[in-house]
Amino acid sequence: MVKIPVLKSITEANALLAAALRARFAQQDVLVLNFIASPGAGKTTLLERTIEKLNGELRLSVIEGDPTTSLDSERIFAAGVPVVQINTDGGCHLEARMIQAALEQLDVEDADVVIIENVGNLLCPTGWDLGEDAKVVIASLPEGDDKPLKYPMAFATAQAVVINKIDLEPYLPAKVSVLRQNALQINPHLAVFEVSALTGQGLDGWVDWIWEKLAEKRESRCTKCP
Amino acid sequence: MHEMSITQAMLDLALGHAQGQRITDIHLQVGMMSFVVPECVEFYFEYLSQGTLAEGAKLHFETLPIEITCLDCGRQADLSDWADDPPRAIMVEALARGCRCGSKNLRLTGGTGFDMISLEVEVQEARGRMQEARGKKQEKKRRTSDD
Repeated sequence: MVKIPVLKSITEANALLAAALRARFAQQDVLVLNFIASPGAGKTTLLERTIEKLNGELRLSVIEGDPTTSLDSERIFAAGVPVVQINTDGGCHLEARMIQAALEQLDVEDADVVIIENVGNLLCPTGWDLGEDAKVVIASLPEGDDKPLKYPMAFATAQAVVINKIDLEPYLPAKVSVLRQNALQINPHLAVFEVSALTGQGLDGWVDWIWEKLAEKRESRCTKCP
Repeated sequence: MHEMSITQAMLDLALGHAQGQRITDIHLQVGMMSFVVPECVEFYFEYLSQGTLAEGAKLHFETLPIEITCLDCGRQADLSDWADDPPRAIMVEALARGCRCGSKNLRLTGGTGFDMISLEVEVQEARGRMQEARGKKQEKKRRTSDD
C-alpha cells in the first residue's frame, strides 16, 4: 500500500480555466458580469432594460445560459445585442469551459461589457467561477424577503444585489427594506439597488454602478502590460 | 444535480495521480459550505468508477468547518463548536452577531472547498508484476502463432 499526496481542489480544472478567461477579459479591457438568480426573478427583463439604458454609449455582448430553448437569446437578439445561447441540457449551472466555447462564437474584442446570464438557480452557479469581474444577484420581492438567509452563498460571493419587482410591494407580505437588511447581514460589502425592471424605476443607480465598475477596471489596468 | 459532474472530475483527478495502479482509498475534504453532498458523491462514484482502476475504492470524507474572518481586527473564527446545528443557519447567526471586537465587517474565508488530500494505491509486488508481464508475452506469442 502506498499513499500518494494529491492536495488539489476537485474543481481546479474550472478554476484554472476561469483564471485564463479572466486574464483574457483583462487584456481585452472588457467588464464581465455574472447574473445569478432564481428562475423568474427577472434576469432577462433586467438585461433588456440595461441594454436600452446603455446601448449607444457602451457596447454590450451577452451569453445566455438556460437548461433548454433559445427563448432568452431571441429576446436579447431582438434588443440588438450580440448574443450566444448556451443550453446546459438540464445542467444546473454554467462552467468556465462553456464560456470558453461560447467565446468562439462571440467576438468580445470590441465589447465594453459582457453580461453572462447564468442558469436560473440561486445555489449551484455560485460554486463555479466563470472568470467574471463580479457576480450580481437579482432577488425579486415575490420570492420572499428571507432568501439571503436561506441562500447565503449567492449573497456572500456577490458584489451587487438588484432587488427587482419593487412595484409589487403593496400587494405582498415581503418588504424591500427587510430584503435589503438580510442581504447586507450576509455581506456588508454589497451594493444594493431597488428596481422595477418592468416600470424602469430605480434603474439609473444600477446602470451607474456598471459604469463605475468599468471605469474601475480600466483605471486599475497595469500600465506596463502591453 | 451537479454531483455527477463533480464526481467525474474527482475520479479523473484520482486516476491521473494513480499512475496506472489500483486505487483502494481516496481521502477528501468537504467544506460545510461547499456545494457537495458526500452521499451523492458516493452514489455516483460507485457508478462512474465501474471498469476503472478506482472501482471499489473507499471514499473518506473529512468535514471542514466554516471559517469567518473579521476584516477590522483580523480575528479568524471557525464555527466547529456549533457543528450540531445546520451549517447555513450558524453562518447566518454568526454574521448577525458580529465579531468580538464589535465589528460586523466579516467575510466567509473557509469551508467552501472540495479537495482531494491523498490516495492509497495497491502496489503489486515484483513477483506479481513479472508473472503478469510474462503472461502477456505468452498471450502475444500465442496470438501471433495463431495467425
